[in-house]
Amino acid sequence: MQEATFLILTALADGSQHGYGIITEVRQISGGRVNLRAGTLYTALDRLRADGLIGVDREEIVDGRLRRYYRLTPDGTAVLAEEAARLHANATAALRRLNPRLAGGAA
Amino acid sequence: MSEQVISSEQAQLERGYRRILACYPRSFRRDNEGEILAVLLDAATEGQVRVGLAEAWDLIRGGVRMRLWPAVPRPRAVRAAVTLMLAGAAAELAALLTTIATLGSVRAAVAARDTAAVHAVLVHQVAVMAGAPVAVGLWLWLAWANGRGEDWARLVSVFCFLLMSLSVIGVLAQNAVALAPANMIAAAVVWILGLSSVALIFTPAAGRYYRPQAARQ
Repeated sequence: MQEATFLILTALADGSQHGYGIITEVRQISGGRVNLRAGTLYTALDRLRADGLIGVDREEIVDGRLRRYYRLTPDGTAVLAEEAARLHANATAALRRLNPRLAGGAA
Repeated sequence: MSEQVISSEQAQLERGYRRILACYPRSFRRDNEGEILAVLLDAATEGQVRVGLAEAWDLIRGGVRMRLWPAVPRPRAVRAAVTLMLAGAAAELAALLTTIATLGSVRAAVAARDTAAVHAVLVHQVAVMAGAPVAVGLWLWLAWANGRGEDWARLVSVFCFLLMSLSVIGVLAQNAVALAPANMIAAAVVWILGLSSVALIFTPAAGRYYRPQAARQ
């Protein structure tokens, strides 16, 4: 899974968001490191919808424009959980090897 | 800055975005253009009237990607069929290049062994050089159309496969003397690629992928 995809799914993990909301959430989650642009965002959303990982939660009209809110589907939740667990395991292993003291306190 | 100035600036920026969004597939634009415009305008900096280079590039890249690789989940059978068709194009291309590279040497070798066969070899070489570019184009076109789930592409694929089978039989019947074992193997490989890709696009799993496209028309 690409990082942008992972961050988009993460942005939707605790509730539905609209397009611009996802961009600001992703910026926040990544500590300002990832600035999604609209082209990247909508290509990813299109693919995630086709794969059944996200769905449209609701639509609103704001200032005469359509605003669509996206949410994770059960499949999307499962895929994100799996990917998060994988990254977590990798990160833990990396930290353990970098710093043996993290392994269990025994210096 | 008056409100009027702001709205004319925004209208100019919006026109710029619309022009770039034209590179997205029409069906996608119909469903998403208004929403993307809203996001683009929300993300624009104050007083911005022109589309930035980086965001233009990002939008164009997204549009091209969506056109080339539409986000319809393709069943495994269709993906495999598309791969086989691309392999078919590669095989025809290889046959064409091999024929061109060995044009003179093959003719000389045959002439040294059996002068009567030279004419048959010549006919075969001309047939390959004329036919292979067309065949490469057909394979690529069918790979693209089948990948998109166009229902007519399945019928055209069957038709092309039957034509190919007939031409293989015809070549074997008429020109067998001119064919080296390598020619036979190449023809067999291409024929098997055709047979397997046609079989794959008619599996039930692939059928479900083609039908909704036909219903959309």
